[in-house]
Amino acid sequence: MPSQPDHTPAPSRRTLLKFSAAGAAVAPVLAACGGSDGNGGGGGGEPRQGGRLSVGVAGGGVNDTLDAHDPTDNVDIARNFALYASLVRYAKDGTIENHLAESLESNEDGTEWTVVLKEGLTFHDGSPVTADSVVFSLRRILDPENPQRGAGDLAGVDADGLTATDERTVTIPCVEPAVTLPEALAEYYNCVVPEGYDPREPIGCGPFKVAEFVAGEYSVFERHEGYHEEGLPYVDELEIVDFPSDDARVNALNSGSVDLISQVPHAQVPIIEADPDLGVMESETGMWLPFTMRVDTAPFDDVRVRQAFRLIVDRQEMIDQALSGYGQVGNDMYARMDPSYPEDLPQREQDIAEAKRLLADAGHGDGLEVELVTSDISAGVVAAAEVFQEQAREAGVTVNLRRVNPGEYWNEEEGFPYPFGQDFWSARNYITQTAQGSVVGAPYNETMWGEHEEWLGHLEEARRTADLDARNELIREAQEIEYEEGGYIVWGFVNLLDAHHVSVHGLEPAVSGHPLGSYAFHTLWKDA
Amino acid sequence: MMLRLVAIRLFFGLLTLWAVSVVVFAATQALPGDAALMILGRDATPERVAALRDQLNLNAPVTVQYAQWLHGVVQGDLGTSYSNRSPVTEVLNGPIGASLTLMGLAALVATPIALAVGAFSALRRDRAFDHTTSLGTLVTAAIPEFVVGILLILALGPGGLDVFPSVYSRNGGPEQWVLPVLTLAFAVAPPIVRMMRATMIEVLESEYVQQARLKGLDERTVLTRHALPNAIGPVAQVVALQLAWLAGGVVAVEFLFNFPGIGKVLMDAIENRDVPLVQAVVLLIAGVYILVNLAADVLGLAANPKVRVAR
Repeated sequence: MPSQPDHTPAPSRRTLLKFSAAGAAVAPVLAACGGSDGNGGGGGGEPRQGGRLSVGVAGGGVNDTLDAHDPTDNVDIARNFALYASLVRYAKDGTIENHLAESLESNEDGTEWTVVLKEGLTFHDGSPVTADSVVFSLRRILDPENPQRGAGDLAGVDADGLTATDERTVTIPCVEPAVTLPEALAEYYNCVVPEGYDPREPIGCGPFKVAEFVAGEYSVFERHEGYHEEGLPYVDELEIVDFPSDDARVNALNSGSVDLISQVPHAQVPIIEADPDLGVMESETGMWLPFTMRVDTAPFDDVRVRQAFRLIVDRQEMIDQALSGYGQVGNDMYARMDPSYPEDLPQREQDIAEAKRLLADAGHGDGLEVELVTSDISAGVVAAAEVFQEQAREAGVTVNLRRVNPGEYWNEEEGFPYPFGQDFWSARNYITQTAQGSVVGAPYNETMWGEHEEWLGHLEEARRTADLDARNELIREAQEIEYEEGGYIVWGFVNLLDAHHVSVHGLEPAVSGHPLGSYAFHTLWKDA
Repeated sequence: MMLRLVAIRLFFGLLTLWAVSVVVFAATQALPGDAALMILGRDATPERVAALRDQLNLNAPVTVQYAQWLHGVVQGDLGTSYSNRSPVTEVLNGPIGASLTLMGLAALVATPIALAVGAFSALRRDRAFDHTTSLGTLVTAAIPEFVVGILLILALGPGGLDVFPSVYSRNGGPEQWVLPVLTLAFAVAPPIVRMMRATMIEVLESEYVQQARLKGLDERTVLTRHALPNAIGPVAQVVALQLAWLAGGVVAVEFLFNFPGIGKVLMDAIENRDVPLVQAVVLLIAGVYILVNLAADVLGLAANPKVRVAR
């Protein structure tokens, strides 16, 4: 029975080890940006209070919104992290830690959760954060008339049954066991807002409150004096500027009009690194760019073809070519940051001879011709398709590329889900990810996986199992089945690159896949 | 006479705007996906798409949607942006001002210089200055404006001589206007220079200029009283065409410099299938185009004594 009292780290984490390794890999950068969260240390000395921080974030447009529960693109997400706070949150290493909540506990079978708020929390307008605020927020997200982004994650929650049992305690009943509820509540877009919340007056309880906002251009925030993490945030003023163009964003950093920027294009990294006043932060993430093979469609309905295709890939070469080397080799399993991730399964390597043998067994001894549908849906996707086309040639497989507009890629009229396609996914834990992409009826089940009985058995049992160790064991078994027979080729995980002026300190990589250490503006500070 | 002409032209201008709105509306409908799908992106669940379509009234028949939009426009209501959820006029308020300033500055810089360079080339016909200008304008005219912009950034921006910032910043000083204005100026100037040169040469060889010279007028008077006024008419047309081009050409330049104008808004609006916003921006650009051309015609007529005096 999971229990997360205050300040007790959430369950045992191999990801912690992994994260430490990541930390080591980027140690020089970390040293340059002055150590960890508010502890000072490193090259930066004691954190300095005050000042103004200007951040250039990739993306943005007229559809920018400050709505707490409906952020869509990167700049919305950045502003969301500044303005709002959730009950629990993902820590830098991908574990879940308490944020507004003092505790989040479930009953035996995970059908009823109880959350207790920390004491003395206040919104930007000075009003207290109460149990009623939490109930209001969850009901707003789940409103059947206007379901918000988090409605899918919280599908099991019985909105009518939500009750505030006292000032700081909320009971969350679920219509079915919801062992992944903490993951859903840790998502930034499931944050807490005051009763009667109006997005035109975006009041939250995050580290900063809004001062100015112009959609598609910029936004300015002021320090929230009542923020619950003591001493934070450091800066008095935060400016977030929209930069849809990569070049403009990098130029803005170069010319000093912003202090740090998210998402540096790979080609620009050497230029930024060459400038002594600038630094690059590389973060390992759980974001993956798989090839997707439909297990119900020829030739991929034959497991041997899927296995052969997985053996065709030279993963390191693909990372070098498609991601300019900024990535981690994948092992055909996703949810890399999940505590259950089977680290011990042997790393799959390129094996053309074995791939040819498998293809011959499957009746494709004379060669095989397939169409791979690709699109510029995320940096590196099209390049990966081109690399695969080359690598497949050695195994006698002819790959024809069909390029589709990014806006139309997930359109059924284009043929989605494609027999052989690609996708990008951000980091999620296993059960949550399967709900998005691997079970029958999932919104993006592009491999048409999910009917495998043994796999489904493990997954369904895991979903009902509140005990963490037992659940992780079940997930491992489900993962192993996908490792052997699944429809994804998970060749790599993407490293994220952000850049900053050397006067900015407190930046630390996060595995979430959100840039700038999950937009941790509250931990950043600047030299005088 | 002139008034009647302007009235007729304005009427046809409005007709053109209406035709443009129909074509743009049809084009937005032809694009794959609708506003609800594009706005929600990968977070689109069937429930959320249905709710948003309901809010935006996307379920109504296309003709009804268009009629409703037109009904509003006739009454001066451009509607509400789908993606921003606030009135279109409010969304466009800042960007229009910024874009007009940018275009105005570019026009102010480009036009007099281009006219002067063109006229001077004509006077220095077949000399070094003329040949250099010819080649220069030919090359600049052949390069797309965003390439000109990139070259300017490389030369004068932080990577090069570091004289001017290469990206627009809300807190920046006036020097940040230099590169975008220069880029646009380089894009609009060449045809003006070439037209001015050609017209001036023609005018200088004309009989009335010969006559004026034979009368013994000094060259200065010949130029200002006889040559230049006759060259203005045809050149005004080109200037107008170029200024009208600015209204559209500003789009790529704004993107390059991250300049908060209508170009950026238009690109976003198209991406989001935000029909009311796309319509408003396109109508604005088309309107500027029509008005500037009308102004050029009026100017051309006014500069032509035959038309001005007769009838």
